[in-house]
Amino acid sequence: MSSPATDRRVVFDNVSKFYGEVLGINRVSLSVPPGITGLVGPNGSGKTTLMNLLVGLLQPTRGSVRVLGIDADHPEELFRHVGYATQYDGFPPGFTGFQFIESYLRIHGFDRTEAEALTWKSIERVGLVEAAGRKVAGYSKGMRQRIKLAQAIAHQPSVLVLDEPLNGLDPMARAEVIALFRELADGGLHVIVSSHILHEVDLISDQVVLLNGGYVVAEGAISGVRDEMEEEHPAQVLIRCNRPSLLASRVFEQDHVVEARIHEDGKGLLVRTRDADKFYLLLNQVVLDNDLTVETVMPTDSDVNAVYQYLIVGQGEKP
Amino acid sequence: MAVYERSYGRYTGPATSEWSRFLVLPRYAYEVVFKSKLFVGFLALCFAPPFFALLVIYLYHNVSALQLIGLTPQKLAEIFPISNSFFFYGMWIQGALSFLLVFFVGPALVSPDLRNNGLPLYLSRPFTRTEYVLGKMSVLVILLSAITWVPGMLLLLLQGYLEGAGWLARNWRISFGVLVGSWVWIVYLSLFALAVSAWMKWKPVARLSLALLFFVLMGFGGAISGILNTRWGLTLSPWHVIGAVWVSLFGLEPGELLPPAGACWVALAGGCLIFLWLLSRRIRAYEVVR
Repeated sequence: MSSPATDRRVVFDNVSKFYGEVLGINRVSLSVPPGITGLVGPNGSGKTTLMNLLVGLLQPTRGSVRVLGIDADHPEELFRHVGYATQYDGFPPGFTGFQFIESYLRIHGFDRTEAEALTWKSIERVGLVEAAGRKVAGYSKGMRQRIKLAQAIAHQPSVLVLDEPLNGLDPMARAEVIALFRELADGGLHVIVSSHILHEVDLISDQVVLLNGGYVVAEGAISGVRDEMEEEHPAQVLIRCNRPSLLASRVFEQDHVVEARIHEDGKGLLVRTRDADKFYLLLNQVVLDNDLTVETVMPTDSDVNAVYQYLIVGQGEKP
Repeated sequence: MAVYERSYGRYTGPATSEWSRFLVLPRYAYEVVFKSKLFVGFLALCFAPPFFALLVIYLYHNVSALQLIGLTPQKLAEIFPISNSFFFYGMWIQGALSFLLVFFVGPALVSPDLRNNGLPLYLSRPFTRTEYVLGKMSVLVILLSAITWVPGMLLLLLQGYLEGAGWLARNWRISFGVLVGSWVWIVYLSLFALAVSAWMKWKPVARLSLALLFFVLMGFGGAISGILNTRWGLTLSPWHVIGAVWVSLFGLEPGELLPPAGACWVALAGGCLIFLWLLSRRIRAYEVVR
């Protein structure tokens, strides 16, 4: 069912995809808002299948996918809204960076003048103007990633789907590309990014989708996902202060605190709690009542890496 | 929230017509193909037979020029009679050159895209698998047309013009043979090359496979015919099959060696269907890794 709200989202409705007997994804229901969405999961978890379904390269075995209210029955319209950069270097041989982008724009249906203008615009956006006339085969890994990104944004899509876009980028290029994602997302674009680099997904994503074995195991903002896991995996908080023993005695009286351990260096306390919000309120009170000097308060397992470890690797502790 | 500001503007301008987009593929493919000096030299060589035929037609109608080389029109007509067999042999030579041209160009068309996982980039656009195959096929179709039916028809027009008095109408079967015979061979060869290119990811292997398949089928068909003393074995040989089709199209005597034309049409159609099936199995945006 389409509505103005769902028309601005990417919606998977009970989607399954099987390749013969091989499971791609199973019973996936998602509603992805604009902004940056990180797809996280181990190899074979279904990330690429999910992306291929989203961009219309695959048809679901069951269920339906709607991208901004458009379903796969209207591929011409769907493909105009979607920009895709695969994890592979699928460059036609002999092409320069400029030709690579321009040729796909012509396939999209842009006339020569418009295609050239859009090509330069996207090349400029990824900072490859000087290399545009060189053959892509001679590009470095980082340049290849950027030219792939340029071809994905060149036709000005509304949904950008990027499979491992940060692989091979040096720190400077990473920062630039992440800034570009942010800029596009802030403008209202859906930027859907898969990555194995968890701390970067955490850094850039407004929400994440965690996949494992073809199933979605969690979705939403990382903080929300982490909060829902507090019962099974109590939140860990490291407090660096001048009297960790005193703090330990006070907080351990609370039901929601399951563990309070003095840090190895004796200058901090590691607390595990099933209710982080209550704990922070308690911490404020204890600090004020006992005149403690607190240097830092740092959640140690509230990032996507910890969520990944708990939900997917199943080790129970952050490495 | 900033992400809902929707300041980002999607392109909403006009688009080119859908039917013409597949022509983007040959445009870029030619840039690569024509960089090879060997190929350019070979392509030039492909125009030598039509040029020779042009010379014969010209001399046939220019007695003074003939006399310069010590020939008479009657003598020339004995050596090269301008008839359906003249154009048939022209087709035969150009047909063989067509295979060599496909051998040069065909294997490089699909295999690099498959090797580099480039298909998702094409197919995540308003561009279908059929259009992709059409685009790649048009690279060969345009080149093969340039050395088969285009010069053939130009020569026929020249002959018709110089001969006058309804020569073209009387010999409509030659035009029919040149046009239909060329197109059948072009489509068959193009699909053959694309199918091989789609299944062999490495260009040299694809090239070798194309040649091997063509000559193995030819040899196998010949062996069956020889051992079993039948013409039917040659329906496996693409070269004999197209030869029989051309003979029937030009209205020539088929002889005893070639298989029946009807069976050859079926063999060509069957071959094309197999090539299309092979292409449909490989030209996909994804590959299942088991």
